[in-house]
Amino acid sequence: MSDILKSIFSVGTFHQMLRSATPVALAAMGGSLTEHAGIMNIGMDGMILMGAFFAVWGSFLFQSAAAGILVILLMGVIVGLFFALLVVKFESDEFIIGCALNTFALGLTSYLSRSIFGAAGTKGNPALPSLHIPFLSKIPLLGALLNDHSLLVYVTWILAVLLWLFVYKTPYGFWLRASGEKPDTLRTAGISPVKMKWLASVLCGVFCGLAGAHLSLGQLSGTFAENMSNSRGYIAFACVIFAAADPAKAYLAALMFGFFDAIGLRLQDYISSDLTNTIPYLITIVMMVYVVVHSQRKKKAAGKPLPAKL
Amino acid sequence: MKKKLDLSYLASLGISVVLAFLIGALILAVSGHHPGHAYAAMFNGAFKGMRHLGDVLEYAMVLCICGLACDLGSRVGIFNVGGEGQLLLGAIAACQIGVWLDGASPWLVFPLAALTAIAVGGLYALIPGVLKVKLKVDEVITTIMLNTIAASICQFLAKGPWKNANKNIVAGTQQLSARYWFGGLVRGSNLSTAIFFAAIMALLVWYVMQKTSRGFEMKITGQNPRFARFSGLKTDQIVILCMTISGAMCGLVGMFRVYGAEHLFKSSISNDYYFEGLMVAMIAQYQPVATILLSLFFAVLKIGAQGMELSAGVPNQIYLIIQTVIIFFMAAERGIFRSIQARRAAKAAKARLEGGSSHV
Repeated sequence: MSDILKSIFSVGTFHQMLRSATPVALAAMGGSLTEHAGIMNIGMDGMILMGAFFAVWGSFLFQSAAAGILVILLMGVIVGLFFALLVVKFESDEFIIGCALNTFALGLTSYLSRSIFGAAGTKGNPALPSLHIPFLSKIPLLGALLNDHSLLVYVTWILAVLLWLFVYKTPYGFWLRASGEKPDTLRTAGISPVKMKWLASVLCGVFCGLAGAHLSLGQLSGTFAENMSNSRGYIAFACVIFAAADPAKAYLAALMFGFFDAIGLRLQDYISSDLTNTIPYLITIVMMVYVVVHSQRKKKAAGKPLPAKL
Repeated sequence: MKKKLDLSYLASLGISVVLAFLIGALILAVSGHHPGHAYAAMFNGAFKGMRHLGDVLEYAMVLCICGLACDLGSRVGIFNVGGEGQLLLGAIAACQIGVWLDGASPWLVFPLAALTAIAVGGLYALIPGVLKVKLKVDEVITTIMLNTIAASICQFLAKGPWKNANKNIVAGTQQLSARYWFGGLVRGSNLSTAIFFAAIMALLVWYVMQKTSRGFEMKITGQNPRFARFSGLKTDQIVILCMTISGAMCGLVGMFRVYGAEHLFKSSISNDYYFEGLMVAMIAQYQPVATILLSLFFAVLKIGAQGMELSAGVPNQIYLIIQTVIIFFMAAERGIFRSIQARRAAKAAKARLEGGSSHV
């Protein structure tokens, strides 16, 4: 028993936590923007999957991971525009579009992967580098924890801070939040809420694309596997709700997911990996229940009526 | 009024299907396949020979029941996205009943397996149903999480405690004795007598939803829950019940797949089949009759696409792309019309304004 505990609370677990949390965190940060803009975005899973594929495709085509990232930025914008066109411009049902987008991504990426790389898939394309920061390695515990991560892990930290500043400290962020909460007031102030929704969608597309790029170019070093997003987009959605759409808190929520994912990986030495795989998903359900119960208790204390839907 | 609506629905469906096939042709052409040859291979894959037709009918059965299960939930305002998990758990539980009771009379095994599938699928849908009704936890996320959990549990069981003795089968349960299989209808195809049970189930669901007062109560519950509550309906119970029945139907589909087609539990029992049923239900706008008819159409596409992969080497996932593009068009259709009208109105207003100013 003490062996298990020792293995769970080792530096390696927390190192893995940061690794696993990153794609979910990136998607959740993007999702917090659409959430603020009043769009229920359950299509993130498909956006991640497309990101994972096109990153590898770009890396394969130009034989450079940097080109893969550029392709992803472009793809994120296109996917975001497409999503906004359907949901914002044509006012289609967000739930239907989100579901269809996920299935579309599954079909498109599997189709293209088999068409371009054949049934065996693709492996070993140029991947994102891991960073080794010399001065960090001198610090005993922290060095082992924070060093030698894939590039996007560090980028995510910077993006989380920047995004938090963007949402809460700039006028654009203010308008973005208003476009979901009080669109009419925003319109009165002379800012178009529709434009802010487009902006949120496009940024969300880019963030989800990066999340996918971390999965395929970072974690699996240039490998694409069919359906590799594995419901992470939905977990990211749960993180957004858990964090009340605060991008910084969404990162912390994703860390929690990463922690349980890492524990699952550790426990594989003792229990079947099929069972440990369920841990993060179970935790997500617990998380959803906790948010709702917690908010209801708060509402009750304030004496306000309950919202009809979360 | 009703007739007119149906016509406009059919028109939009027809246009969307045509456009989706055009986009599919574009993707085929860009990825280096000849669209004409691919579609011809798709047609042959579905209609050439009884064997393929049998597969089409079997898959239509799966899509139809899954789609109706989704209709049932959405009618009362709850989206059962968790059918995949309910199907898998129902399948593996029903299969294991047959393995455990090996040697017993089929008259005992069949009903028991069906009841087990119903119970397991229903209970697995009950969890998100109760969470939604009692705590207002969003059912979309919980059901999707439960899908992944169910798939992992089934993998664990099929690789571990319930594993087939044959070492070549990595993840699969023991095979059922042949006397427990649904009778095959077409040699070499997956079609079995299970389709008759599915047809009865589909008719029953359609009848209850469209022709009974229960169905009407469900409709009110979904469209206007406050009104339903004030008219004395126990909406909470109705929602939970519908969700449970929806799960039970998915569980039964799992049993049909095991006892009718695969004869043991392995991952090919369902490859996101529920999601494809869900897409069909969405295209049918959650109407039971349309769901039943469209499931035939999409079964033709799916089996055709698989045949196309074998004969023309085109990955069958083009089927998913075509299906979802249809959804994109149909969901956006009203918005597209609205924006065209708005542009036209703006142009007319501008013309009027300019015309008016020239008079002054």
